[in-house]
Amino acid sequence: MKKITIANRNNSTYEVKGNRPLLLELRALGLDLPYGCQYGGCITCAAKLIKGKVDQKSQVALNNRQINDGYVILCVARAKSNCTFDIGVESHDKLYRNPFIDPLAPHELKSDIATFTEIKDD
Amino acid sequence: MEGLCCGPGYASPSEAIRAPSEKLLYTIAIYTGTGIQKPDYLATVDVDPNSENYSKVIHRLEMPGIGDELHHMGWNACSSCHDDNSMSRKYLIVPGVRSNNIYVVDTATNPKAPNLYKVIQGSEIKSKTNLSGPHTVHCLGSEIIISFLGDAKGEAPGGYLHLNKDFEIIGRWENSMGDIPFSYDFWYQPRHNVMVSSEWAAPNTFMPGFDLEEVGHLKYGRRIHIWDFKKKKPIQTMYLGEDGLIPLEVKFLHNPNSSHGFCGAALSANVIHFWKSENGNWEWEKIIDIDNEPHSDWPIPIPGVMSALLVSMDDKYLYINNWLHGDMRQYNITDPHKPVLTGQVWMGGLLGKAPIVNGVKVAGGPQMYQLSLDGKRMYVTTSLFSTWDNQFYPEIRTKGGVMLMIDCDVENGGMKINNDFVVNFGDEPNGPSRCHESRYPGGDCTSDIWL
Ligand code: FES
Repeated sequence: MKKITIANRNNSTYEVKGNRPLLLELRALGLDLPYGCQYGGCITCAAKLIKGKVDQKSQVALNNRQINDGYVILCVARAKSNCTFDIGVESHDKLYRNPFIDPLAPHELKSDIATFTEIKDD
Repeated sequence: MEGLCCGPGYASPSEAIRAPSEKLLYTIAIYTGTGIQKPDYLATVDVDPNSENYSKVIHRLEMPGIGDELHHMGWNACSSCHDDNSMSRKYLIVPGVRSNNIYVVDTATNPKAPNLYKVIQGSEIKSKTNLSGPHTVHCLGSEIIISFLGDAKGEAPGGYLHLNKDFEIIGRWENSMGDIPFSYDFWYQPRHNVMVSSEWAAPNTFMPGFDLEEVGHLKYGRRIHIWDFKKKKPIQTMYLGEDGLIPLEVKFLHNPNSSHGFCGAALSANVIHFWKSENGNWEWEKIIDIDNEPHSDWPIPIPGVMSALLVSMDDKYLYINNWLHGDMRQYNITDPHKPVLTGQVWMGGLLGKAPIVNGVKVAGGPQMYQLSLDGKRMYVTTSLFSTWDNQFYPEIRTKGGVMLMIDCDVENGGMKINNDFVVNFGDEPNGPSRCHESRYPGGDCTSDIWL
């Protein structure tokens, strides 16, 4: 079992198995979470991972900057260790940005189009 | 009297213009992406100036669960069924972009308080048709087609769901998507056996928000497609290039004999005019080009983001919005090659020209609008799509959306915001929601097509 702590819900804790998406496991335990598509494509369920490890390989909603900022797509992510999250839109401070004022660097794009300068160099 | 014998809608656009004024309208209001854990809903707004509830939400039909992101909607029947007196304009078909669910709402039993008649589960649509990300709903005769932007995994190009009049899934409507890369809006003009479709992006691209760099990586559309409507397959692509970045709404003139139509390219903030030439090929030209506007906080000038357009029932005026600038414009299109700007109003937007309208601080800019059949009253809402709202207008989270009305001068041209009408969705009982597309029970300027 993995212990999931929700920092911005008074550090409430939930015990999950880690074999199913966190959205399903946590909702089944009574935590009210936002969601939309439920397959990892729409970002509605994003939460911010403060501590711990998840497997969210099948998400396609986040760009690399959002991943580096700790965002996790709960509808596909499985807990790989004890984790601490901020949830809901209060955790979305860095999720949304004006794309004209604050553009992405090539390595910050979504993984299917991201490029890294090291690779370009040779 | 014409119209009494028959099915839904009107015998012709000119008959539609003479229909009684709308007294109610239905508008979508969303909580998806707002932080409020409540279902999206269909709001009934009282628009009867003689009613004590004028300019108020008088009913809210909540969807069964959260997270749909209701967006656009359409009727089960329109003037294309006018000859079929077994049909009536009774049901609104309301898809959820994120959930893939489609809600069928009965608006006739109690027009002020519509009720949920049927739910087509998103999972059933995915398993039977491999489609997700529903957008535009049109009826055709007694049947219904709905454009979807993605396959079941949210990848482009999607396709078209075909429902029968009992809202059962027939399957895919199209016989082929050809080499169309993206889907979005569509409109058809039966006398020319033509359908035209436009391009947004794959659901997995646009749903999480807008990354500008993805335009350069060809993740967003820049084409319009002409279809053989009977053969249900695309026959010509118009590549718009930089003039047509993110071509969203497409509309034909209402006159069923006309082949002229328009598309608003959102990011280029251009209106593309297309028509069938004498040799049967389809041609296009850019007829309106909204300049980007400088802003002290922006490293580059702000594009208009022309996310919608609409043609008045008499085909005389074209309306466009610039969501980021904050203006609505009216053009006289008597000569569709040479539109003439005849009206403009401001509400919200990033340029700061009208931050407060009718006492309400406007978060967002003019985004979706619906026009009365007589062309005189236009109802405008301010939210685009939850994630995109959150990027460009983060204050909409606490302020909610707003609905305003513009008085349109159909004789001489001109637009003026009506000072007696404002619906502040920031004051909704469950907290600030965001209003989006609207429809009127008796038909409006985006619902009807004539065979
Ligand atoms: S619910 Fe859409 S990405 Fe999780």
